[in-house]
Amino acid sequence: MNTVLELIFRLAWWLILAPLLPGIINKVKAWVAGRRGPPVLQLYYDLARLWRKSVVMSTLASPGFVIGPAVAWVALLGAVILVPLGPAGAALSFRGDVLLMLYLLALARFCTAWAAMETGSAFEGMGAAREVSYAVLAEAAMVAAMLSLCVQTGSVSLATMLAPSAGAGAVLLAAGLFTVLLAENCRVPFDDPNTHLELTMIHEAMILDHSGPPLAVILHGASMKLLLFSVLLTEAVLPMGDLSPFAATGVLLGGVLTATVGVGLVESLLARFAFQRVPLLLTTAVLLCLFALLVAWKGGAA
Amino acid sequence: MSPGVLLLVAAGCLVAGIVSGLRWPRTWLTLTVIGTAAALGASLWVLLGSTDWEWLSDITVGGERLHLRLDALSALFLALLCVVGASGALYARGYWSDRQFPVSAPRGRAWWSSLVLCMGLVLTLSNGLHFLIAWELFTVSAYFLITLENKRPAVRAAGWLYLAASHVGTLVLFALFATLASHNGNWDLGPAMREQAGLAPLFWLALFGFGVKAGVFPLHVWLPSAHANAPSHVSAMLSGVALKMGVYGIMRFNGWLPVPPAAGWVVIGLGSLGALLGIAFAFAQNDFKRLLAYCSVENVGVILIGLGGALLAVTQGDAPWGRLALAGALLHVWNHGAFKSLLFFSAGSVLHATGTREMSRLGGLWRAMPWTAGLFALGALAVSGLPPLNGFVSEWLVYLGLLGAITSKAPAAWAAIPAVILLALAGALALASFAKAGAMIFLGAPRTQTAMRAHECGRWMLGPMIALAVVCAVIGLVPALVWPVVTRAAGSWHPAWALAESPAPLVTLGLVHVALALAVVGVAAGLWWKAQTNGVQRGLTWDCGYATPTARMQYTGGSFAGIGVGWFSWILQPERSLRRLRGVLPASAFRQERMPETVLERVIAPMGEGVLRVSSAVRRLQHGRLQAYVLYVVAGIAALGCLVLFGGKP
Repeated sequence: MNTVLELIFRLAWWLILAPLLPGIINKVKAWVAGRRGPPVLQLYYDLARLWRKSVVMSTLASPGFVIGPAVAWVALLGAVILVPLGPAGAALSFRGDVLLMLYLLALARFCTAWAAMETGSAFEGMGAAREVSYAVLAEAAMVAAMLSLCVQTGSVSLATMLAPSAGAGAVLLAAGLFTVLLAENCRVPFDDPNTHLELTMIHEAMILDHSGPPLAVILHGASMKLLLFSVLLTEAVLPMGDLSPFAATGVLLGGVLTATVGVGLVESLLARFAFQRVPLLLTTAVLLCLFALLVAWKGGAA
Repeated sequence: MSPGVLLLVAAGCLVAGIVSGLRWPRTWLTLTVIGTAAALGASLWVLLGSTDWEWLSDITVGGERLHLRLDALSALFLALLCVVGASGALYARGYWSDRQFPVSAPRGRAWWSSLVLCMGLVLTLSNGLHFLIAWELFTVSAYFLITLENKRPAVRAAGWLYLAASHVGTLVLFALFATLASHNGNWDLGPAMREQAGLAPLFWLALFGFGVKAGVFPLHVWLPSAHANAPSHVSAMLSGVALKMGVYGIMRFNGWLPVPPAAGWVVIGLGSLGALLGIAFAFAQNDFKRLLAYCSVENVGVILIGLGGALLAVTQGDAPWGRLALAGALLHVWNHGAFKSLLFFSAGSVLHATGTREMSRLGGLWRAMPWTAGLFALGALAVSGLPPLNGFVSEWLVYLGLLGAITSKAPAAWAAIPAVILLALAGALALASFAKAGAMIFLGAPRTQTAMRAHECGRWMLGPMIALAVVCAVIGLVPALVWPVVTRAAGSWHPAWALAESPAPLVTLGLVHVALALAVVGVAAGLWWKAQTNGVQRGLTWDCGYATPTARMQYTGGSFAGIGVGWFSWILQPERSLRRLRGVLPASAFRQERMPETVLERVIAPMGEGVLRVSSAVRRLQHGRLQAYVLYVVAGIAALGCLVLFGGKP
C-alpha cells in the first residue's frame, strides 16, 4: 500500500508539477519586461485545450507521427522516475541507473526527431538536424558531469551520487549543468521558444506540424524534461543527503525555483546566439564539466 | 547427442550444400538450415553446459593431427555464425533468386556454404597450420561472395581491395603462427601457451593481423566499399559475422597468449578512436549501405573498448569491473551481429525494391514497405544503443565496467574516462546517423520515380528479418537470460572470471525494460485512440505556405548531417564542388559533395603511388637494349673485381 501511495506521490510530482515551470519562466520574463504576462498556469490550460482538439496530420505522415511522441513521453517519464527526489529517494535505484536515465533521454530525442521527419518539411528537417547534432556535445557534457559525481561519491547509482554536494567543483558543475539545461530544453541562448521565425528554431521547428493530443504530449514531455534537469542540477550541487527531510524538501523546491527563475532571467537578459556560436558555448559546458571532474578526482583523494 | 556428432552433421550438411547449391536450391536450403541448427546445438551444449568439447584425432592433414576444440568463447561466436548463416540463406532465397540471377545465384549458394563451413572451422580448429588454411579459405569464399555481381566495375574494385587488405593481414598471421610454431616446436594452439612470457610481443602481430579483418579503425579501409557493394545478405554476413572472426582472433590470442603491459591501453585507445571516427564517417555517408558499413567500424570499436578494459583489469589485479567490461564486449558481439544483419537485410529490401543505395533518391518508402520500415526503425533503435533493446544492454555493461575502473580510481581510469566520454559521443552520433538514415529512406515524400514505385519484399526476406528483430527484443527485455552464457565465455577467456556473480542489475534492468515496453505499447495505443476519437484531418505539409511543396524541397541527408560533418571535416575531408547562381541570367547551378574514405585515399593511396613512382624509376634500367645489358654485366664484373683487388684482406 505504501509503495503504491509513494508511486502516486512521485507521479504527481513529476506529471502535475512539471507544466508549472514554463509558466514561472514566462512570468519572470514578463516581470522583467514590465508586462503582466500570461497566467502561471497557462500551460495547463493549453494542454487541456490541446487534449480535446482534433488532429491535423500531413498526408505524408505515417503512424510514427503519433507513436513517436508517445514513445518519447514514456521515455521521459521513465527517466524522471529514476531521478531521486531529495528526502524521498528514488523509486528505483540500481547500479548504472544513471546511464539508463541518459539513454532514455536519448530515446526521447530519437523519437521526437523521427516524428519530426515524418512530414517531409524542410523546417522540421532543420530542427531535427540541429537537435541531434547539438545533442552530441550536450551528451558529452552530461556524461562528464555524471562522471564527476561518480568520482566524487564512488558510486554509479543516482540515489547515492546525488546525496552529497558536488564539493569543491560544485560551482563548475553548476555552471556546466545549467548550460546543458538551457541547451537540452531549447531555451535562450540556444533556441528561442517564442520566436515566430522557423529558420531560427530547434525544438519548436521540430513540432511545427504537430497538433492536438500528440502536441499536448510533446509539450508535457518537454516540461517534464525541464523539471528533470532542474532537479538534477539542484541535487548535484546541494548536499541533499545531509539535511533533514523537511529542510531537504524546502531546499529542493527552492533549488528548482531558483533554476527556473534563472532560466527566465537568462531569457530576459540575453539574445539568442547565432548558430555558429552554439557549439562554442556547448564546448564550454563540456570543459566546465571536465574541470569539475578533475576537481572531484583531486579533491576526493582522501 | 554430443557436440562432436552435431558438428559432424553440420560439416556434412555444409559440404553437401556446396555441391547441391549449384543445382538444387531447395535441398541446399534444407541442408544449410539443418547444418546451422546442428552447429547451433553444439555451441549451446557448450555454452549452457559446464564442459568444453575437444577432439584430437589420428587423422592427419598436411602432416599435422586434426585437433578440434569448442570452448565457450568459440561457441559464442559459432552460435552467432549459425543464426546469421541460416537467416542469410533464407533471405537469399527471396533476395538473390535464381529467376533474377540465373548465373550468380547457384554460385552464391555454393560459396555461402563454403563460407559458413570455413568460418566454423576457424572457430573450432586448434592447430595453427589448419587454422591458417581455414582462414585463407574463409577469406577467399568471402571474396567470391562479394564479387557475385562481377559485371560491375565497382564490385570488382571492392573485391580486389578486400582481397588485398585481407592478405596483408594474412601475411602477418603467417608470421604469427610460424613464430609460435618455431617457439613451441609444434603447431598446436591452446591455453597452455599462456605460461610462456616470451611470447608476449606476438600480441602486436595478432592485433594487426586480425585487426585488418575486424575493421579496427585505421585498418578498416577495405570495409566500406566491400560491404556496400556486396549483395545485402553477404553484407550482413560480412558485417555481422566475418568482422567478428577478426574480433575472435584478437580475443582468442590475447586469452591464450601472455599480453604485454601496454596491450590494454592500446586496445582501449584504438577502440575509443574507432568508435568515434567510425560513426562520424557513417553520419557523413549518403549511401545507406556505406553508412551501415562505417557503423560496423564503430561497433567493433565498442567491442574493443570492453576488451581493452578487461585487459587493463587483468594487469591490475583481476579487478571485478574488468569482467563487466568483457561481458559487455562479448554480448556486443552477439548484439551487433543481430541488429546489423537486420539492418543490412532491411537495406537489401530497399535496394531490391528501388535499385538505388543513394538516400537522396529515396524517401516516403514507409507507405510501400511498412514492414521493412518498422523493422529498420527497430534495428536503428537497437544500433543506437537505446533502451529497451539489446544494443543498450551490452553498451551498458561496457559502461559499468569502465565506471567501475573510474570509481575505484584504478590507474586504468586514465583510459576509462576518455573512453566513457568518447563512447557517449559515439552513441549520440549513432543516434543522429540512424535518425538521418531512417528519415531519408522511409519518411517524407518519395524524392524520385523509383522511390514511388517501391514494393514490400516477400516473405522469404521478411521472415529472417522478423526473427532477428525478435532476437534483438528478447536480449533487450530479458538480458539476465544471456548472462550465464556471457560469463562462461568470459571464463574461458580468463579462467579467474569463470564464477558468475549474481547479475542483479541485469534482472532489474530487464524488468525496467519490460515495464518500459509495456508502457510504450499502452501509451502509444492510447494516444492513437485519442487522436482517432478526436478526429484526424489530413492535409498537405504546411511548409511555410507553399501550396504544393515538391519532394525536392525536403531536407536531404547531406544537409541533415551538415553540422556534424563540419565538426569532423578535419578527418572526413569532404570534396565539394559548387557553382553558385551569378549574374542576371545565371547558368545552371549545382553543388556536389563526395565523402572520400580518408585513410585509403589520403594515406594509403599516396603511399602506394610513391612506391609505384620509385619502381617505375627503377624500371627505366630495364629497357630491352642488349648492349646496355652487356654494359651492366661488364660494369658489375668490374665493380666486383675492384672490390676483390682493393677491398682489403678478408
